[in-house]
Amino acid sequence: MEISITKGTVDIISVNGSVDALTSPELVKVLNDHIHNGHPNIVVDFEKVEFMSSAGLRAILASVKEARTAGGDFRLAAPQPSIEKVLKMAGFHNIVKIYPTVSEAIASFG
Amino acid sequence: MAKKPRVALIVGSGSVKCAAALGLWKALDRAGIPIDMLVGCSGGSLYTSTMALGFSLDECISYTKALWNEKVTAEKNWKALLGMVFPKLFKFDHHFGMISDRQMMKNLRQVFGNKTFQDAKIPLTIMTTDFYTGEQVPLTSGSIVDAIRASIAIPFIWGAHQVGDRFLIDGAASDPMPVDIAIKEGAEVILAMGFQAPLPSKVRSVSRYAFHVNGIMTNNLYQSNFAFHNAVHHAEIIPIFPQFDRSIRLFDTDQIPYVIEQGEKAAEEQMPYIQKLLNS
Amino acid sequence: MKKNLSIVIGSGSILCAASLGLMKALKRENIQPDLLVGCSGGSLYAAALALGYDPNTIHEMTVDMYKNDIVEGYTSNLRAAMSGETRFNESSGLVDDKILMERLQSIFDEKTFADTTIPLYIVATDFYSGEEVVLSSGRIVDAARASSAIPMIFPPWTINGRLLVDGAVCNPLPVDVAIKEGGDVIIAIGFELPIRRRMNSYTAVTTHFNSLYMNNILKSTFAFYNAVHHAEIIPVLPKFEKQIGGFDHHQLPYIIDQGEKAAEEQLPYLKKLLEN
Repeated sequence: MEISITKGTVDIISVNGSVDALTSPELVKVLNDHIHNGHPNIVVDFEKVEFMSSAGLRAILASVKEARTAGGDFRLAAPQPSIEKVLKMAGFHNIVKIYPTVSEAIASFG
Repeated sequence: MAKKPRVALIVGSGSVKCAAALGLWKALDRAGIPIDMLVGCSGGSLYTSTMALGFSLDECISYTKALWNEKVTAEKNWKALLGMVFPKLFKFDHHFGMISDRQMMKNLRQVFGNKTFQDAKIPLTIMTTDFYTGEQVPLTSGSIVDAIRASIAIPFIWGAHQVGDRFLIDGAASDPMPVDIAIKEGAEVILAMGFQAPLPSKVRSVSRYAFHVNGIMTNNLYQSNFAFHNAVHHAEIIPIFPQFDRSIRLFDTDQIPYVIEQGEKAAEEQMPYIQKLLNS
Repeated sequence: MKKNLSIVIGSGSILCAASLGLMKALKRENIQPDLLVGCSGGSLYAAALALGYDPNTIHEMTVDMYKNDIVEGYTSNLRAAMSGETRFNESSGLVDDKILMERLQSIFDEKTFADTTIPLYIVATDFYSGEEVVLSSGRIVDAARASSAIPMIFPPWTINGRLLVDGAVCNPLPVDVAIKEGGDVIIAIGFELPIRRRMNSYTAVTTHFNSLYMNNILKSTFAFYNAVHHAEIIPVLPKFEKQIGGFDHHQLPYIIDQGEKAAEEQLPYLKKLLEN
């Protein structure tokens, strides 16, 4: 799994590969460090995420809570159809704002 | 349970589609991965029971065909049907079901005889729901026939089944994919196979409408429970979703070989990750 | 950082009037919600509060709404539909919704979500897919009608080409909407459907099964929301010691009282949370 960060009005964290029990601890560390360094609003770009497991979801959830506790929000962008299915089953759509594109996700922060 | 289970397999509702669990079993066996605990709910209770009792794959297939066919729903429960028209004369209670369970019980006894949970080679739990309170009731002892009969008691089709002093119905009414027991036992990897209720495309009568609404609620229950367990589980839950390129209807037992194949394929896709997890 | 407050009023028909008791208790402490979510019967109260109606008006609304003429014809229509005498499809209902619409119209007239002074969300269910549909624009009367469309009893309601039924079928207490919209402290006032041990008709058994499923959906969704929320969800669960029939509006003072009592139990903790 690879992570890259694009700075802007709202920082974009792009994830490439698989988010699962083995890779998610690293992702969570990057996300939380970012949130606690003055960027409580983040957009996580999922376009290149090919696999997402239950443990991966749970880890992401922890970052969602961190962002909100810090007064911001964590919004997801561009999940692939297979990942979209996983997100729906896990109830993610009900509790996190998910957008088809990164620009829409950024715009949502107004 | 003496030691922590490493791999737990949960098979939820889905009638004939649940045979895909046999394909999953084949794939795990090939990879040398043993299953340490089995949990069955609704249609899944049938397959987890045959697996837990140590039947061979071929036996499981032939037993399913013998057990599950249109004959089991052919005989109507005339008393119940009359009761719908003359409610004051006929009792409405936990016994209410439109179909007689005589044939179903006969078939179950033919396959499972007097076997009890004690005869299971792999720890087995069958999930049911209390008809009166709606609580989830896990069964881990007693007759296998009684447990399965209770777990597949789809509301309206078959009446509740008495086990001890409780009246039990379909486990799907409390949780269509019951992973909690596996979570409680601390399983490292939970394989979950269950199918959402297909919703009828055309509603042309009151009973179809009722089935449709029931289907929606079962699916919502499935999702909300799954979402909760995903959020609170400590290790990994891997849902196995076999793909079917054709519709598999309630009694399509001749499709079982195809269903098993698809189950095997879906399991193979997850195998690399499962192996990584267990070796890490 | 100021914490915002959301109030979620779940399904419960006439029991939802207990939310008036909750509002009474909050008003006394000068606590105002920043967001309101309603489902099924709860949508009426959430909308009325969001529009700034005073408690007396809302009380009158309840008395007017919950009269049993609203389900007139149910038994005879059921018999006719079951015998195949009358056609029944996905747009059907066993009761004529004329009276329900009249009452909703007299309460909300042509008001829209844009007329609310507090942001409002109403939850319904897509009849075909079973998915949650969150309504936050258009006429309030349409949203309330859709959210309250008890399956089989009232015909479903179409909004923007989607056939919608009772929100309780997918989410009886939609705390998720408050979480998604950035709620910090969330007060959730919800009701479990009563379970009876004696059933003496087909309808009673159907109702029983529906109640079992709905209560289980309520419990598992609530458990999920609790697990995923970053701040605090405060459940306000009024206790009703006596049986309350769907149209017992003479029990309203009791219902409102119990709502107030249940809210008061949570007040000390709520105040602490909001002050921090």
